[in-house]
Parts: sequence; structure tokens; C-alpha cells
Amino acid sequence: MNKLTYFPGCSAHGTSEEFDHTLKLVMKTLDVQMEEIPDWNCCGATSAHVMTENLALALPMRNLVLAEKLENKTMGIACASCYSRMKGTKKHLDENPEQAKRINSTVIDEGEYQGTVEIKSMLQYCFEEIGLETIKSKVTKSLSGLKVACYYGCLLTRPKDVTQFDSPEYPMSMDLLMEALGAKAMEFDFKTECCGASFSISNTEVVESLTGKILEVAKESGAHLIVVACPLCQSNLDMRQPDIEKHSGKKLDIPVMYFTQLMALAFGYPEKELRLPKHIVPVEAALKHIGDPVPEPEKVKKTKKAVEAESEVE
Amino acid sequence: MARVGVFVCYCGANIADFIDVPAVVEEAKKIKEVKISVLYKYMCSDPGQGMIRDAIVQNRLTSVVVAACSPRMHEKTFRKALSDAGMNPYMLEVANIREHSSWVHQKDKKAATEKANDLIRMAIAKSIANEQLHEISVPVTKRALVIGGGIAGIQAALDIADARIPVTLVEKSPSIGGRMAQLDETFPTLDCSQCILTPKMVDVASHPYIELIPYSEVIELDGYVGNYKAKIKKKASYVDFSSCTGCGACTQKCPVKVPNEFNMNIDKRKAIYTPFPQAVPNKPVIDATHCTMLLKGKCGICAKVCEKGSINFKMVDEVIEREVGAVVIATGYDLWDPKPYEEYGVGRYKDIITSLEFERMVSASGPTNGVPIRPSDGKVPKNVVFIKCIGSRDEAKGIEYCSKICCMYTAKHAILLHHKVHDSHAYIFYMDIRAAGKGYEEFVKRAQVETAATYLRGRVSKIYKKGDKLMVRGEDAQIGQVVEVEADLVVLATAVIAPKDNPSLARLLGVSYDKYGYMSEAHPKLRPVETAKAGIFLAGCTQAPKDIPDTVAQASACAAKVCGLFAGDTLKKDPMVSTINNEFCSGCQNCVKVCPYQAIVTEEIPLGHGSKELRTVAKINEGVCQGCGSCVAICRSMAINLAGFTDPQIINEIVAI
Repeated sequence: MNKLTYFPGCSAHGTSEEFDHTLKLVMKTLDVQMEEIPDWNCCGATSAHVMTENLALALPMRNLVLAEKLENKTMGIACASCYSRMKGTKKHLDENPEQAKRINSTVIDEGEYQGTVEIKSMLQYCFEEIGLETIKSKVTKSLSGLKVACYYGCLLTRPKDVTQFDSPEYPMSMDLLMEALGAKAMEFDFKTECCGASFSISNTEVVESLTGKILEVAKESGAHLIVVACPLCQSNLDMRQPDIEKHSGKKLDIPVMYFTQLMALAFGYPEKELRLPKHIVPVEAALKHIGDPVPEPEKVKKTKKAVEAESEVE
Repeated sequence: MARVGVFVCYCGANIADFIDVPAVVEEAKKIKEVKISVLYKYMCSDPGQGMIRDAIVQNRLTSVVVAACSPRMHEKTFRKALSDAGMNPYMLEVANIREHSSWVHQKDKKAATEKANDLIRMAIAKSIANEQLHEISVPVTKRALVIGGGIAGIQAALDIADARIPVTLVEKSPSIGGRMAQLDETFPTLDCSQCILTPKMVDVASHPYIELIPYSEVIELDGYVGNYKAKIKKKASYVDFSSCTGCGACTQKCPVKVPNEFNMNIDKRKAIYTPFPQAVPNKPVIDATHCTMLLKGKCGICAKVCEKGSINFKMVDEVIEREVGAVVIATGYDLWDPKPYEEYGVGRYKDIITSLEFERMVSASGPTNGVPIRPSDGKVPKNVVFIKCIGSRDEAKGIEYCSKICCMYTAKHAILLHHKVHDSHAYIFYMDIRAAGKGYEEFVKRAQVETAATYLRGRVSKIYKKGDKLMVRGEDAQIGQVVEVEADLVVLATAVIAPKDNPSLARLLGVSYDKYGYMSEAHPKLRPVETAKAGIFLAGCTQAPKDIPDTVAQASACAAKVCGLFAGDTLKKDPMVSTINNEFCSGCQNCVKVCPYQAIVTEEIPLGHGSKELRTVAKINEGVCQGCGSCVAICRSMAINLAGFTDPQIINEIVAI
């Protein structure tokens, strides 16, 4: 059994409860024991770092100190924003040891920061540490027939020198994960576009225009649903759809699911475990596409030798 | 007893305003070896030099100190004055009291004067230990080697050969012509590239003083200025050029099709091919990586159809040697691969192409007969978006420098697009328009006014697909808004980069290159054509991105340099070179490692007088040595002596302050 330190972030206990729940199911199947950090605190989110740098560093730092006490190699983070704050903080602290020491000794009583925990998003953990082969081996109900558009949002792979994971502009890890489950990942140009994030509250119009564009392009790609790995992305894409449809007059009706929900489904958990009633845009119709006949891919068979692959004999 | 003359210069006000020159003159007189100490307003002028000449004779001087500007300015002038007065010119020392004192200490006259006194005292002390030196004569082989047969190499070879100096021109690919042969029309006059280039290519082939060696590479260069020995590898072409008539039957019948690199892989060529119809020499070569006869022993159709029996599948690479006196490097440039622009969908969308691909399409002899098409469906595009600075001026993804030619060729492409597709529209996203050159700004205006190209100042942030169109989203900074353009075709002006083989070539030639892989010139302003290694010169983009006029000018400058080098029967060079005292040399070879000019080799000498046992000592080639002194500093046994900077001279200088 692998052990994983788990940082859920505040949404996992609230708006993205279905993410948290299915993540735990999936990890159980994959034989990973999740240890939630006791007494974790807010990562600071978007508020702390616009107020003061020290606060923005101190909040994640306390979580890091607590995580180190669990003595697991890796900490998995559910929320993309928490992930960004924690990993960015770790990089900054490691590069500025004096400042780290100062903050540590001034406001953190829980122990001394070592910088020993490796931070990964849950998507990254599945992709890098569990691996597609293992995931494939656990699939009992293939998602074949389902077409998905994988949406990564802006923080999972950016900035590159912080995240050190996948491509910052056109990542493929979630696409490959979905294909491992049997689904078809569609070509989707807006997979890293900004959804408007926390402007959802303060400037809804901006979010509607940005999110609207993402939904429109996802719909055009032919996908039955959008797959996400971030609670805020999910709520913006899902929750704003009715308003966007009202303002634009265009019918979107494209459900937005967490990758863990689809993993749970493919691993054989019943639909009721996916917590589908929590979705604004109903999911059920999209999931009916599972089992649709899949047309043969138009692949040109390539010969083994690279030499012959390039040349062509009349 | 040494008899030194000191000549202090006012340099108008340059020195006199900040240094108490009369006091300096008096100070020098206190040294007992100084027999005359005088001042003059302009020592470099003819009367000034006359003062020096007269003083040498009248005072029977043994050495001369001139306290004036940097020796880089007038050392040669004053040496000549010494010669004219019958004195060995190397008995001169220059005390640089201008750049080293008056110019840098303008606020403190007292300190500047003191420093001038120090500098002059040092020069006097050094000059007392000066020895009579004589210019070194080096024999010279009057043949030039030109590496690379693009427009730079062609121009350099022709200009040198026109001076009746034999030239060996080595070209890597089967034909000369280089990048320019791939271009359709050239800015700012829109004359056809082939039309102005091919006559020069033919001249190269027919010139009695040019030996053209195509499909070959330089693999070794030994020796020094005037006396290089080059090893050239002639790659197996499997075609006997001496009997081949270039009839083309073999290329017609060959059944193997391969992506055509000359046409940027837009169409296919055969496995036996000439790169383009106007190739020089117009003889085919067999591409061994694709020929089924060479790979699997099947086919051989080309040999069957060849009436002259020129095909020889057993041909192997051959190494030949040439002795040359000078080398011109003209290896040209490559283009940056835009793959890192993932947000544009480069590699995913067929209708995003590079500028050179567009250039081949609009070329009348190109793969699409001069009509631009969308690679995805073959349709003629109406809305074409050009994006400049792809990789250039981009520290995050590409390189920091400006590629210099993209602003101009993109303007040209907008005009050519309009010529080929009348109802088309060009949108050009740019950061700045850099059109500095004769007729360049007017040319850009022409693109903007005549062809009504829309210039949008700003970067493109994203390209995405909508139906069969590409949506190009970018900033229009002049209206401060994000704009989206619906494009049929997107053309990326990719950065000019150094050929990837430049560093390895530079190492084998013994010249330096910069962090981007461009060959380094000896001085960015005053010696832009020479490398730091004597007798090796640079032409064209191998040194930095350049347009055709600049490249041709630099190539001609190379030719002038080569002709100058070969003007006499021997080469004269300064005698400030290092020599090894074998008795002290321990053979540690540290000097070999530190020598930046590869001037030091080793030799075996008898261990003792008449002994048969041998020991290794260092040996300096005075033809190559540039007198930098690195070997002197590293030598632990003090076995190396640098003429003009001997230990007694340096010690005298130190003692004098």
C-alpha cells in the first residue's frame, strides 16, 4: 500500500465534495492510503498574496510544516489553486532560506520547515506515480464511446518553472488518462484558457464571457462533456452555463465532471457514488454515450523501418 | 649606458588640460639615462615626428619613449619615425597618458599628473631593457579555401578568383546557391532571386581560378596563416561527375520518393536527385539513406537507364587535401523550429506554415507553381495572417536577438501574396517594424499602401480552429484591445539561427563562436570580417543574421582581405612572439592547453647531448603565435620568453613604480 499525504483545500469539504468523495474511492481502488493533514489551514488563495507577501508565504508554509510531520514522500493536492500556492511557496522558500527562517520562527509554532515534501496535484500524482498502465488495469467498465474535452485551467501546468509538469500550453496528461479509461479525448484548443477564476463573484460578466468561449469551443469539438481537475474551474463552467445560455441565446448544455468521477465510474463504482445531483448541468444524458459504437480510426499503417516510413516507392 | 629620449605630447587640449605637461617633462629629466625630454603640441604630426628623428641622431639615443595616446593609435607612426632615423623600430615604448590618465582623471589634475609620471617612468625603464627585434617573414600559399557555397561563398570566391588567386570552394550540399536559391523575389526591389543568382553560380563553375568541390565537407585544418593544410571529405555521390552529362534520365526513372528539402518538404524528390533545375553542378547524387539499391540491393534502375554508365554503387567517401593560405567561412544560417509555440497549435494545424515554406510556394518554380495554397485542403487562401518575431526577441521560447530580415521579407510576402492572389488580404502582427536600409522603409510603405496589408502592432496569444478556419487572437496595442482574425493560412516568420554544425566547424578551424553558435569576429566594429585567428575570415550569416546586400558586401570585404594577405610573397608579422628555452622546459604542456591560437605543439628532443633517449618539450609556431603571453604566465619553469615583453623588461617596469 502506498501512502499519500492529502491536502483537500476548502472546496473539497464544500462545493467540490463530489471531487473529494470520488478521489477517495479511486485511491482506495488504486491501493493508496490517503492521510489528510491534521489541522490544515487555508492556503491563502487569491486574497493573501494581494495583501502581504509574508502572509501569503506563512499560510502555505504552516501546511508544509504539518505535512512534513506525516513523513510521506508526496503530498497530493486536490484544488489547483491550493496546489499553485503551495508549490509556488515551496519554491520561493527554498530559494530564499533566510526569509523562510524568519517567517518560520516568527509565526509558525508547529515545527521547523525542512522543504522535504514533494508537492503534486492529484492529476499529476495519478499520471506520474501511479501510471497509466496501473490505471488501465483497474478499469472494469470501459468508457468507450464517450467523447470528452479535457480542461486543465490556468494553474495545473503553469508557470512551468514552478509546476514542472506537462506542457504549459497544450498539456496531454488528462487526455491520456481519459484514453486509458476508454474514452476519446477530443482536440481542444481552450484547454488552458482562463475561466475567470474568482472574478466569478466580483465581476461575473468577465467570467461569463471567458467561460462562454471555453464552453462553446468544447461543444464544437464534439465532446459530450468537459473533464476538469480543479474545483473553481468546475463551478465556473458548470454554474454559469444557465446564465450564459440566457444572455447569448445559444444552447450549451455540456456537463462538467471531475476526472476522478469518470475514473470511479470506469473502476466499476455505481453511478450513485458519483454524487451526480450536485451538478447544475445534468450529467446523465452524456453518460448514456458510454457504449456507443466507435468508428474505426483512419490510421495509415506505417511500416516498421523509419527509412521506409519516409519514402514511398511507386 | 642607455640613452633615452622622452617626447611628451599635449594632444591639443586632450592631455594638456588635465595634466601638467611641462612638469612631466621636467620630472623625466631627473632620470639619469634620459638625455632629452621635450614637449610638443601634436607629436604625431610631421614636425613632431621630425623632432624625434632629429633627437635620435643628435643625442645618439638608444631608445625612445613617446608619452601620448594609446599605442593602438600611433605606435606604428612612431616606429616608422625611429626606422627613418636609422634606429630599430622596436626600441620604442609608448606611455599612454591620454586614455590611461588625462581622459579618465579629468577632475584631479594633480593625481593625473602623478600617474603620467609613473607611466613615463615605467616606459623609460622598460625601454632600457628593450632588444632589437625584426619583423618575421612567413611564406604564403596563394590559394584560398571558401567554406559554403551560398551567396556569401559565391561572391567571396568570385572576387578572390578575379584577382587571379586560385580558390577552392567547398559546398556541403550537391549544389551551390544556398538559401538565396530558395527565394522567389528579393526585397526591396523585387528582382527575381534566381535571375540574379544563377549567373553568378555559372561563373563559379566556369571560372579558371575556382575549383568547385560540391557535396563535401572540411574535416580538418592544420597550420597557420599563409600555410594552412585542409582535409576535405568528398561524400560518396555514387555518380561519376566526370562522365555524367546531367541528362536527368536517372532522376526521372527512379521509383523512390523522398520529402524534398529544397522545397521545405512540400513536395517530393527522388532518391537520385539534383536539388533544383538550375543546380550547379547540374549532376545528380544518390541519397544513400533512401536508395533501395544501397539499402537492400534491390532496384538499380538508374544504372540501367544511364547511357554513360556513370552510376557507381560501390563509390565510397574520399578525403583529399588542399594547401591554402587563407580561409573564408560562409556557412550561412538555419531557421528556428517554431514547435515551442504550442499555444498556436504548431505541429497540430497544417495551415500554420513558416515563411520559407510560403516563399517556396510563391516561387514560380516552386512545388505549387507559384500559387500559395492551404496544406490541409489545397485551397487558395484569402485571409493570410503573418506573425513576426517567432523565436526572435523572445527570451522565453527562442533567442534574444533580432533576426534582422523578417520585417522586410514579411512585407515582401504581403506584396507577393497580393500579386498572386488578387482578392486576398494580409494581416501582419508585429512588435516593431525595423526597416533600416536603403529603400527599405519605402518598401514597407508599399506593402502598407499599395497592397493595403493590415499591420497590427501586438503579439498573437493564441490560434484555435473554428471549422476549417484558424482564429488568430492577438493584441492590437494601438487601440488597446484584443482582436481576432479569421485566417485561411498563418505564416510564421521564424528566427534566423546559426547552422547547428557551426560550433563543431569552429572548433576544427580553431576560431571562436558566440553563445548562439555564430562565428565570432575579431572586433565588433573595427575588424568585423576577420576572426581572431590570422588568415581566417567571415562572410554572411555565419557571423550574424544579415540580408543579401550586407552579405555580399562582407563577402567582397573578405576577398579584399585575402588579396591583401597575398599581396607579397611572404607575410610580415610583428616579432612579439613567444619562444621556448628547451633547457628549462619540463614538457608539462600546460602552455599547449592555454594557447588560444593552437600555436604550441610538442616535439621530441634528445634527453642530453648525444643521448639516444628522447624527452618532450613544447614548440611554438611563430607564424601562428599572436603574442598574447598566456603561455608565459602558465609556464612553471619560466622556460617561455615573449619578445618585447621579456622578464627584465617587465621587472624594470615594476621597479620603476
